[in-house]
Amino acid sequence: MNKIVALMKKDIKLLFRDKMAVFFTFVFPLVFAFIFGSIFSGDGGGSKALKVAVVDLDQTEQSQQFVKSIEEADEFTVTLTSEEKAKDLVRRGKRVAYFILPEGFGEDYKGVFSGSPPEILVGIDPSRTAEAGYLEGSLMKLGINRFEQAFSNPAAMTEQLDASIAQIEESDDIPQEWKSLLNDYLPKMKELTELDMGSEEGFGFGDDGEANPMMPLKVTKQEEVVQRSGPKNAFSITIPQGVIWAIMGCVIGFAISLVQEKTLGTMNRLIVAPISRTQIVAGKALGCFTAQIAVVALLFLVAYFILGVRFNFPKLVLAAVASGVCFVGLMMFFASLAKTERSVAGITNAFLLMMGMVGGAMIPLFVMPGWMQAISNFSPVKWAIVAFEGAIWRNFSYTEMMTPVLILVSIGVVAFILGTRMVKLEEA
Amino acid sequence: MIQVESLNKRFGNIHAVRDVSLKIHPGQIFGLLGPNGAGKSTSISMMTGLIDADSGSVSLSGLKPQSKEARHKIGLIPQSIALYEELTATDNLSFFASLYDIPKNQLQSRMDWALDFVGLKDRATDRVSGFSGGMKRRLNLAASLLHDPDFIFMDEPTAGVDPQSRNKLFDNVLELKELGKTIIYTTHYMEEAQKLCDQVGIIDHGELLALGTVGELLKQHGGDTQVSISSDRGVKEFKSSDVSNDLIQALQTSDKVYDISVNSPDLEAVFLNLTGRQLRD
Repeated sequence: MNKIVALMKKDIKLLFRDKMAVFFTFVFPLVFAFIFGSIFSGDGGGSKALKVAVVDLDQTEQSQQFVKSIEEADEFTVTLTSEEKAKDLVRRGKRVAYFILPEGFGEDYKGVFSGSPPEILVGIDPSRTAEAGYLEGSLMKLGINRFEQAFSNPAAMTEQLDASIAQIEESDDIPQEWKSLLNDYLPKMKELTELDMGSEEGFGFGDDGEANPMMPLKVTKQEEVVQRSGPKNAFSITIPQGVIWAIMGCVIGFAISLVQEKTLGTMNRLIVAPISRTQIVAGKALGCFTAQIAVVALLFLVAYFILGVRFNFPKLVLAAVASGVCFVGLMMFFASLAKTERSVAGITNAFLLMMGMVGGAMIPLFVMPGWMQAISNFSPVKWAIVAFEGAIWRNFSYTEMMTPVLILVSIGVVAFILGTRMVKLEEA
Repeated sequence: MIQVESLNKRFGNIHAVRDVSLKIHPGQIFGLLGPNGAGKSTSISMMTGLIDADSGSVSLSGLKPQSKEARHKIGLIPQSIALYEELTATDNLSFFASLYDIPKNQLQSRMDWALDFVGLKDRATDRVSGFSGGMKRRLNLAASLLHDPDFIFMDEPTAGVDPQSRNKLFDNVLELKELGKTIIYTTHYMEEAQKLCDQVGIIDHGELLALGTVGELLKQHGGDTQVSISSDRGVKEFKSSDVSNDLIQALQTSDKVYDISVNSPDLEAVFLNLTGRQLRD
């Protein structure tokens, strides 16, 4: 074991002596994760519109008019859908909130001086307090439009006043004192309106907003807990990608170093020494594995303490070990295919870049089109990213972690066996 | 003792080593002399257990070269500079020493000795990438001596080396002989073989053509000495197997002698006589 450790230590020392290798293994992945994480965080100045689902259960002229005003508002990107789908979209985090315009919305919308304010149901995750406040304010702003419409249309205003006078007459809930005041006031108001004059004075309905028709809207919030399936932090996506770049750097570096041992002749020294071929291969594999674990540890330390990425530690260890095994196997396989440093670098670069492209090392898996996601299943990079994401934001159970872990370990074991069988150490 | 019996090795259609047999006694310097591609390195590779022979056998004091025990006795100085250039001289030696179970309390003294032996003690902490070709060759030798091997295989150790380092390496080889080591030295420089080796094997196209001490080879295959006398009677050139007698006779017939040139046969001539071509063809 001491000899294997000596081989590993030598390779790690060699890695750190190579400034370019250190840069591409440790620094570049961090830069990658940081830059892309910052871009995906939204600091690049993109649209701030909140994606909402809107359900119109009322289907009246007023409700449709209100839906139209939501659609036209800069604050929202609207998806018109059914109640069930709207709730599902919010639970899955695909939309920030849903607005439901219940039956009767249109009737209340018309009643400026009587009845209740039009109610709108807003479904949003209780943790999204900031968005909830923003949504309520934006809706209220839209709700004010109904007063503008009423006061700017004398005919509609007159009609509305007639309806209100009739309602007040029939109502038993309104105190007699109020009734007489309103019966005195509203006809005068109607008279004014008929003279084509508007009025902007307030109405004394007290603090009870629920019964106050002068409230623009009655916003009723519904808690819709989001099933946390999406990343909470853009770095949660870019850190696994950065890790993959680092691991790919390790694989390329160690595959080259294994071939280099042959071309330099140092492999001949190793073979002639009292050390078995298994120990030589194990030493190289342990070096590659250790470098990978080191780089994963470094990136996740930075991710945790600086970028605010949170993860499940035991699952992260599982992901790191599984991807380590996978890529050590691939390193051995690539090294067995080539006889020169140039050819091993070419083979390894080409394969890993292709696997990286389809596997999500450049574009996050979840934004890929369906056909590309299907192809990505053949890339070990995809499974490594899925395993790391499982430990960060996919909230995988241990059973769910087993899928990427077993795939990675299987690829690694098969590649390692093939590689160690095919590699000719003595071919100097 | 190193005993090689009927070694054969083929690489595809090329018969790299054909029926090579030889015996090397302890404490001897054995030179394997031949042009590039003659089969020297392949022979050494089989003798050190680096590659397996197709047929034949190698015994190092009764041990197979692939055995762990034999590996502790083998010191291989490969033809290439088999060092990690980005590590320091000490890092390199420390790593190679770690493969040989050298007790920790002896490790530093062995490294110091090896560096001192090749004249690189003052460059111990320098990276190998900054060394000259000759220094790298010397460190290449040092790295093979850390475990105090009995059998030292040197595969063209002076290739691309400056005269100063070459002389230092020659001194090292002779010192190792004094220490009782058995040395197998391949080269295509006949001067090196002639200067260093107790016994020489001449190899070409994988075949061991001749084997013996330098004197024996010269006598058996070197041919006659070439004598040239320039006198008042003109220039006379002849081949001689008994130079002193032939010279006396030739001088007696001349009144004035201007120049005498005697060219004794060397290993180049031996190779020429054996193969019909120059060693460096």
